[in-house]
Amino acid sequence: MADKTMTAADALKGGLWTEVPVLRLILGMCPTLAVTTAVKPALTMGLSVLFVLLCSNIMVSLMRNLLKPHLRILMFTLTIAAFVTIADLFLRAFTPQMSEVLGPYVPLIIVNCIIIARAEACASKCGIFVSTVDAISMGIGFTIVLCILASIRELLSVGTIWDIPVLWKGFVPWAAMRMPVGAFVTLGLMMALVNTFTQKSVRGS
Amino acid sequence: MLKKIIANYIEQSWLLIVCSFAFGLLLALTNSAWSGRIEQNKIDKLNGLMNSLMTDANKFEIVLEGAQVELGKGKIVKTNVYKAVTSDGKTTGFCFNAEGAGFADKIELVIAVDAAFEKIAGYSVLSSNETPGFGDRIKGNYYRGQFKGAPVGTLILTKQGSAEKIDSDIVAISGATVSSTAVVNIFNNYLEQIKKQLVQKGIVNSGR
Repeated sequence: MADKTMTAADALKGGLWTEVPVLRLILGMCPTLAVTTAVKPALTMGLSVLFVLLCSNIMVSLMRNLLKPHLRILMFTLTIAAFVTIADLFLRAFTPQMSEVLGPYVPLIIVNCIIIARAEACASKCGIFVSTVDAISMGIGFTIVLCILASIRELLSVGTIWDIPVLWKGFVPWAAMRMPVGAFVTLGLMMALVNTFTQKSVRGS
Repeated sequence: MLKKIIANYIEQSWLLIVCSFAFGLLLALTNSAWSGRIEQNKIDKLNGLMNSLMTDANKFEIVLEGAQVELGKGKIVKTNVYKAVTSDGKTTGFCFNAEGAGFADKIELVIAVDAAFEKIAGYSVLSSNETPGFGDRIKGNYYRGQFKGAPVGTLILTKQGSAEKIDSDIVAISGATVSSTAVVNIFNNYLEQIKKQLVQKGIVNSGR
């Protein structure tokens, strides 16, 4: 869903439900699998992506009528890279420990498919208001999925959520949940759950 | 004809050029606003790492400011050498910043050496962007442990051997040879050159 007839309501619904980047479009897998060992880095990554997505969507929307078709990807990348660098500098200045935890994954937002996909599918075709709503809803959708995934992994791997112990003392941590296998399994189950729920609601209607 | 070609190029790329300048200016302003804070964070981290490497030290004093180290190909970098001092004024060792090219980006280490500058006391990673799960294992105890107690001199990277045996042979991390080599190269570049300068200043004995 992304054409010139796209409305703000479509953008809002798309980002938060029908086109949730990770679960529906299967985009942004790299940070999704890499930074969801705990809630704090997951939330930071989600907010970083939201910031970059919002700034790049606004910029691309503003220049959409001036874009040359064969130069548009170059322009998208230039715009995204500038805002990713700002996000990276911000994290290094104000949250140095989190910046270290996220490591190369913040600079890697430059090649995050979600951002370039929204620039191509929405911001380069729609007005500034719709593009802003699209960026916010997609960013929030992405952040929510990241936080849910991270909560499950952190809970089962160390028994905490947001570094606060929530499980009983005798709980044996599942080391596998900290590893890539934990990310793949949890994400797969989340996708299965969402797909099952969607199919049921389609049949119900 | 030429004018037409130039006009066509400008017409095609003017937005790209303008945006490049605008974003460049935006990044320059952002960087100048936050670079001081980023630098301070690095200093704080350096102090923390030096404290973790030299646990018995009470304070760190600069004994050699702007020590020059040649990294090859004519590239010269400067680093400060700190003396680790206990509460009773005894020198327990030396620490300094060291850098070199890694697999993905520059690797910055904090290296600690004993007071006689004969044995390595350890290292910590100040910054690196090595591949998670592979190159970033240079931060792990398996690799770092091999340096602790190793003699100051030329270190040799081997692919096979015992990681428990503490000597000049450093066993590479499997799947991360480039990162392993980078760390060994940093040690080989810095140790001899820093020692030479400390001997010249009379801070440590030549040991020969």
